[in-house]
Formats: sequence, structure tokens, C-alpha cells
Amino acid sequence: MSVALKLVESNESELNQVLERHPEFPRLVAVKIDAQRRGVHYTEEVLKVVDDSVQMRSPYLFGSRDGEIKDLPESLLLRDGSTILTDPTPLAQNPYLVDLIDGKPALVDGGQFVEFVDFWPKPLYYDKKTSTGIHMSHIVSARPQRLNVFQSSYCYFWAEEKGCKFCDIVTHTKQQKDELGVPSRLKPQDISETIGEALKEPGRFTGICLTSGSVIKGQELFDREVEFYIETLQAIGENFSSKKFPSELIASAFNEKQLARLYEQTGLTGYTSDLEVLGEDKFNWICPGKAKYVGYQEWKQRLVRAVDIFGRGNVGTGLVGGVELAKPNGFTSEEEALKSTLEEAESLAENGVTTFYIVWVPRPGSYFKDQKNPSLDYFVRLAQGLHDLRVKYKLPIDYNDYRRCGNHPDGDLSRLL
Amino acid sequence: MATKLNKEIIALFSNDDSTKVLATVNEHGYPHAAAKPFIRVDDDGNLLYLELVESSRTQKNLVRSIWFDQKVSVSVSDKSGQSWQIKGRPVKTLITGPIYLHHYRDVRKRLGDVDLSAVWVIEPEEVINENIQVRHTEEEALHPLFRHLDRLAKIQP
Repeated sequence: MSVALKLVESNESELNQVLERHPEFPRLVAVKIDAQRRGVHYTEEVLKVVDDSVQMRSPYLFGSRDGEIKDLPESLLLRDGSTILTDPTPLAQNPYLVDLIDGKPALVDGGQFVEFVDFWPKPLYYDKKTSTGIHMSHIVSARPQRLNVFQSSYCYFWAEEKGCKFCDIVTHTKQQKDELGVPSRLKPQDISETIGEALKEPGRFTGICLTSGSVIKGQELFDREVEFYIETLQAIGENFSSKKFPSELIASAFNEKQLARLYEQTGLTGYTSDLEVLGEDKFNWICPGKAKYVGYQEWKQRLVRAVDIFGRGNVGTGLVGGVELAKPNGFTSEEEALKSTLEEAESLAENGVTTFYIVWVPRPGSYFKDQKNPSLDYFVRLAQGLHDLRVKYKLPIDYNDYRRCGNHPDGDLSRLL
Repeated sequence: MATKLNKEIIALFSNDDSTKVLATVNEHGYPHAAAKPFIRVDDDGNLLYLELVESSRTQKNLVRSIWFDQKVSVSVSDKSGQSWQIKGRPVKTLITGPIYLHHYRDVRKRLGDVDLSAVWVIEPEEVINENIQVRHTEEEALHPLFRHLDRLAKIQP
């Protein structure tokens, strides 16, 4: 056991207390949530066993909690096959330690063993370059079973200082460009080549996800964003024998014409447009750009209309879970926040739109950088509540589940559906 | 507590002609037993179950088992009368990494265009010899009264 393990004392024994209150909730999912909520710190001991087979941190849309780009493992897998998407966190913020226990990497908290973990395996294409000489890992980043394409990491809402208050996309893009030379806008041909290379690894991937910042330009709002996605998806599609391939687009709230073009002209199978926070007043405060250009009610309606095009279970909206409790205008009680969020999520579920969340991490490059995310208990109840809605309305989440995404605790619960 | 499998059992699992059945339990306590040809023994003595169908009942029950620490049962037998039952716990599921990828390639080589959802690692905790002769011998030693009288009659009917 390392020295660091003995030095850090946990000031929260929250995990066990929460599990006692929710015995029907899987412990491993709660561990995942808590590791996302609090972050992790890799000890020197554990870093000694990290070899070339481990995927190290690669370009991502958002930054990490320590605000730095370091050569550390990308993230972790739990023994139930679920993914923990978490990032390095300063020790002062009381993260979980990733340390060596019996020679194996493990999550440790307050000196106590929590769970053994695995590092993400590095895909073979990470060591290759495109024909234009760019590292393929800078073009398409991998999760254990998914390929991520962040084709443009600039968000136009930021230009008017109306970026979402939890988001650090533009700050992080600039950092990645300066420190790693990651292009801020990708060329479809580079993406297609990289996807082609990834497909040479049998059994390695089950889905492709595309996302980027909002682009408000075009004849109609978001037309240019749609155009770029179509071009990219068509380039990706060159690698497949079937017209459709398992894929998710996380994008702005497009109108019916734009959605129909995406569905008909590309291999896309799933569409997500993130409301980020449910409730009109919270949305207006936290997502001023989205509120200005589309508006809360219209965003919801566009999601509902997307169901007619992509089908039930293939359309969803993501929440930055917990941001509804941000100060000063957020809910002041977790009870109230949960009730309101689940009521709104139900209004979407009734219309075939599924809602999932990621754990809000106040990042240094975001407006909410100095805030604290809610309790583990809150996130457990939010996951259970969203899952229960999926059960009630028989809404599958195949396109965005534990394997094809891995970043939604409520989606992990749907492994039992 | 983990237990070791003997050489006979390991050989039985290696034989493609053996019958292997994995029994799990659903959320209502209903048993679900299904023949599963793809069960192996790994180098550590654990059972490896290859789940080919992502949304199968067995898979869901295994997820529930690993989440809530429930046991499963694996039976293996052959035509010669060898029959074993292994009770154990799913301790890990592999959806990526070298072991998973090895089995993904192997199962596709054997079966053609199929998928592999997961490789489940089941740690054996109890091994029961279900061979009928062995069970009869055990029964008669432990419960000598548990037999029909006609079996003891001077004149066999």
C-alpha cells in the first residue's frame, strides 16, 4: 500500500451511508457515480504499472477538474463492465485514490479498499497517423466500446458570452490546441480514415458518437452545423457495408427539415439534443445561448418531433445532473430539484424522448468553476428516477447505454430492462 | 470462498460434446436455466461464460447477480454419466481488453457472423458431484433409511 494511501483521510463515508438508505440500488453504479462526482487521483505507485497497453488521456471536448493536460490514464472500468468517465482531481478536493492493492489498480477511499478497476485498453489505431500526418488519436478518441468524433470544438454561443455556465468547451479547446496541437476543426477525410483504421480491430467498438459546439450560422439557424455533420457522417459511412450504422449525434436542436436530412442522407441512428437542465427558468439562466436562439419550450418540441423521424428510444436529451442546484439561482433543496427535474423528464418520456444525465463536475474553465456538486444521495435518486421513467414508458436506451456510451448512471441501470 | 475445479471437471468443460447448463435467477426469484455451450475454465480456475446476446435473460440475471452478490449454478455432464454442478458468483464481466477480444475472434471463427456481448468470469464456490452412482453411495451412507423396502427383500420382485 502506498504512502499516499495512508496520508489522505476521507472526510466523507457517504458511499456506505447512501447504500444503506438505498439497498435496491447497485453498489457498483453508486461507486461509479461517486468516482465521477469526486474525481480520482492516481498515486505514483499505480502509475508504475501503467504500460503501453493503457489508453492515456486523449483529446476531449471538455477539460479536467485539475485544469491541466497530463499524461495520465484516460479513465477506468469497473468489474461489472461499466465505464467510469472521471478525471484527475487535486488531492485537496478529496478525490478517490487509484492505488495498487495486491498489485492491482483499485479505488481507495480514506485508506479503505473500494473496488478493483481496470484501465481502458488503448486501441491500436492510437499509434497511427492519417495520410495528412495527424495522430489518429487527435481525430477520433476512444472509449472502451465507442468512438468519439469531436469535429469542431468551438461553440458560437460563447462568442456572445452566452455559453452554458457549466461548460468549458472553448477554454479547453484553446488549451488542447496550444499544448497538444489538436486541430479545433476536423476534416471529414481524416475522420473517415481513422474510423476505417478502428474498424480493423474486431470486437473493439460498438458505436460512434459525434458532437461539437453549436454553430448558429446558415440560411436557417444551425444550417451550417447540420451541413458539417452530414458531410462527416457520409464520410464515415464510406467504411460501412450497410446504410445505417450504430451512431449517436449530440447536437443543437434542429428543425424537422434538418433532422429529416440527417436521417435520410446519412447512416445516423440516434439523436440527442441536450437541454442540460430541466425547467424553463433554470434553462434560461444556465444556458443563455440556447435560450436566446431556440428557447426552452421550442427545444423540447424539437426533441419530440425528432421522435417521429428517428423513432422511440432513439431520441434523448442529456442533463448535466446537479447543475440545477447551482448558486445563486438554482434550487435550494435537493428534494425540490429532484421533484421538478423528474416531472419535466416525465413530460418528455410521455412523448418518447428519453432523458439521461452526466454528473456535473464544476470545471476550472467554466463559469460555475468555484461551485460544488450535490450529494451522492441526490445523484443516486436522480439515476433511479430517470430509470423508473424509462421502465414506466417502456423507453429503450440501446443507442446510448452502458456500452455505447457509458457516461450515464441511469443508463447503466437499464442493463436490466 | 473460492474453490478449485479438479482435472476431470476442467476436461469436461473443454469437451465440445459435454452438455453445459447455466442457471440464474430473475428479479422475481424465478430460475432461468439454459444450455450454454460456451463455458470454459480459465488459467485461474474460474469459469468463463461467453454471452453472445446483449439483451438475453441470462445476461440480465448475471448483471443482477454481480450487482447484488447473488449466486449462479453451472452444470456440466456427458453421456458417460459424469455430471457436476458448480455453484459460484459472477465476479467480473469483460466487454473489452485482450481476453474479451480473443474470445470475440474465436467465437466468430467457430460460428460465423455472430456477436459476443461479454465474457463473464464466474468464481466457483462449491462443487457437487452429481454422478448418480456417487450420489447413491453418499445417500446410503448418510441416510440408510431412505430406501424402499422391496430393495431389501429376500426375493426381489
